[in-house]
Amino acid sequence: MMRVLGYLAKRLVFVIPQLLGIVLVSFLLVKSIPGDPAVLMLGPTATPDAVASLRESLGLEQPLYIQFFIYVKNILHGDLGTSWQTTRPVLEDLVQRFPATLELVTLSLLLAVVVGVTLGVFAAKQPNGWVARLADLYGLSAGALPDFWFALVLIFVFYTLLGWAPAPLGRIDMIVIPPEPITGAYTIDALLAGDLDAFGSALAHLVLPVLALGLLNAGPILKMTQATVEKMLDSDFSRYEVLCGVPHNLVVRHALRNALPSIVTIISVLYGYLIGGAVLVEIVFSWGGAGQYAVQGVLNSDIYPVLGFVLFSAIFSLMVYIVVDLIYVLLDPRISN
Amino acid sequence: MSQLAVTSEQGLESRPRTAAAPLVDIKDLRVDFSGADEPKQVLKGVSLSVLPGEIIGLVGESGAGKTTLARSILGVPPAPGRIRTGEVVFDGRNILALPELELRKLRGRRLSVVVPNPRAELNPTMTIGRQIGAMARIHLGVSRAEAARLALAMLRDVQIPDPERRMNAYPHELSGGMAQRVVIAMALICNPAFIISDDATSGLDVTVQAQILSLLSRLATGHRSSLLFITRDIGITAHFCDRVAVLYAGEIMELAPRESLFLKPAHPYTLTLLAAFSHSPKLRDTWSVPQTGRRQIQVGGCSYANRCPLAQPTCSERRPPFAEIGPGHFARCHFPVSPE
Repeated sequence: MMRVLGYLAKRLVFVIPQLLGIVLVSFLLVKSIPGDPAVLMLGPTATPDAVASLRESLGLEQPLYIQFFIYVKNILHGDLGTSWQTTRPVLEDLVQRFPATLELVTLSLLLAVVVGVTLGVFAAKQPNGWVARLADLYGLSAGALPDFWFALVLIFVFYTLLGWAPAPLGRIDMIVIPPEPITGAYTIDALLAGDLDAFGSALAHLVLPVLALGLLNAGPILKMTQATVEKMLDSDFSRYEVLCGVPHNLVVRHALRNALPSIVTIISVLYGYLIGGAVLVEIVFSWGGAGQYAVQGVLNSDIYPVLGFVLFSAIFSLMVYIVVDLIYVLLDPRISN
Repeated sequence: MSQLAVTSEQGLESRPRTAAAPLVDIKDLRVDFSGADEPKQVLKGVSLSVLPGEIIGLVGESGAGKTTLARSILGVPPAPGRIRTGEVVFDGRNILALPELELRKLRGRRLSVVVPNPRAELNPTMTIGRQIGAMARIHLGVSRAEAARLALAMLRDVQIPDPERRMNAYPHELSGGMAQRVVIAMALICNPAFIISDDATSGLDVTVQAQILSLLSRLATGHRSSLLFITRDIGITAHFCDRVAVLYAGEIMELAPRESLFLKPAHPYTLTLLAAFSHSPKLRDTWSVPQTGRRQIQVGGCSYANRCPLAQPTCSERRPPFAEIGPGHFARCHFPVSPE
């Protein structure tokens, strides 16, 4: 236990410089996007004088390193800047939108893990069986289909044709009052408030986007599971288990157990990727998530939402990686030292 | 060679080697490795009977087919091997013809194997106590607690120091010698009738090797199990094997009771093996394979003909029969070396 805590402390010390580096790089990148925010904010009819004075008050006339310094100082005071599009503090916007994305992405990933690992194990179990062939086909299609297109197909079939799914217009029905935000995830908040109507509505709205993201992102997990479990089944210890008369199912289970570190790795990479990568699906379903917010920022030279999003995603990814490292220690007794 | 025989703990007489029915009867076992073009014959019809309680040594160089034989007896030839013909009769049944499920229940239960390089063969994410206990849980159907108790007793039997603590150790925390003892514990926990030791001591240093060997033979005798002891070192077999078989290129070249083999070796290959382990330079010079001028192997001839110091034209034309040249002493050679 002490070992884990010491390890955690060591890792957390490194989080600060990592975040600083990420903010610096993204700051420089965002600043290099052409376009004058002052012009965009004031519109085409603005006088040059007005633009100049706005630039002055936004601090855009300062050298870049001073701008960066001010931005970092503000972050330390909990101020991530203000979005001129929503005219609200970026922190407020993100606190509202990030959980929406997180809820969607987490559930999608859970579905992807269930589908990917199950199919992967069965495919590895019988490399020439029909499941293996299905898995090959699945991996190919999941890699080839764009997620937004797949989302549109799902909407067409399950909303337009069958009418089973609710309209792809946000996270909850218009007539249902969203639950009091506690975690920001509607399903959890609705359950906490005991509001089953809101829970049902939020869940219904999650089904199609989760299917779209989950089924497609199961592809890489499936491939990784299949490849690693096959490798483990081909390894000395699995063959020895066969020689010892260990039942086939148990041999496969032990192989999966030894393949878990690789599978956890791909899951963690996907998790970090999906926070921003889910944006097209968010747009299709008018999800109002963080990815959508950041893209709007990029398109309109609204830099603070973009930087705030990068910061939030970075913190989230670093947390995921720390958790994953702890999982490695639990999974593989050889890492303990 | 005779001094090797003298160091043995038990004389040959102490073991019953009467006309009892064989425990395991390997009949004409042929295994191919399917390659890109033509399959390579790795075992060319191996026949060997193992009597109950007998320790039988099988000597051969690398590539002779030792591991293939060990694993094929259990019905799982190493990839890309395929059993072409042959029977392994055990308990009156040809186990190679059994359905996979029944064969699986025999493996590890009645017929078990001790593998070399066991640190790679053990499951890296499972404690050794659980791995040994798993054998008992799977094959004897005992409870988890009972399996742990049996595993601990087995760890004591194989003389692992501090067994209570080792129960919770992972394979990477063990030395090679300890891992070898763990694998022996796994092979013996279900009290099998037949144990195959596949070059089990090859990776260990000599002192540990000697400890493991005496442990293995003592436990096999104690459990009244038969032991097929496969090794590259013909000297080892002199210590405790009742009979010794010499495998070369997938064929048994000579099979004899220990004393007969070491005192009156008949096959030229056996002599080169003995000479290689001998301290006598004269013996080594007389019985060594010339590095140059090896003849091409002729299809249908003796597979040793191309390396044999005594080869005659006949040798590369006709396959020699496996002939009995003395009581219980067989050799596959047209011109067996006569004693003296």
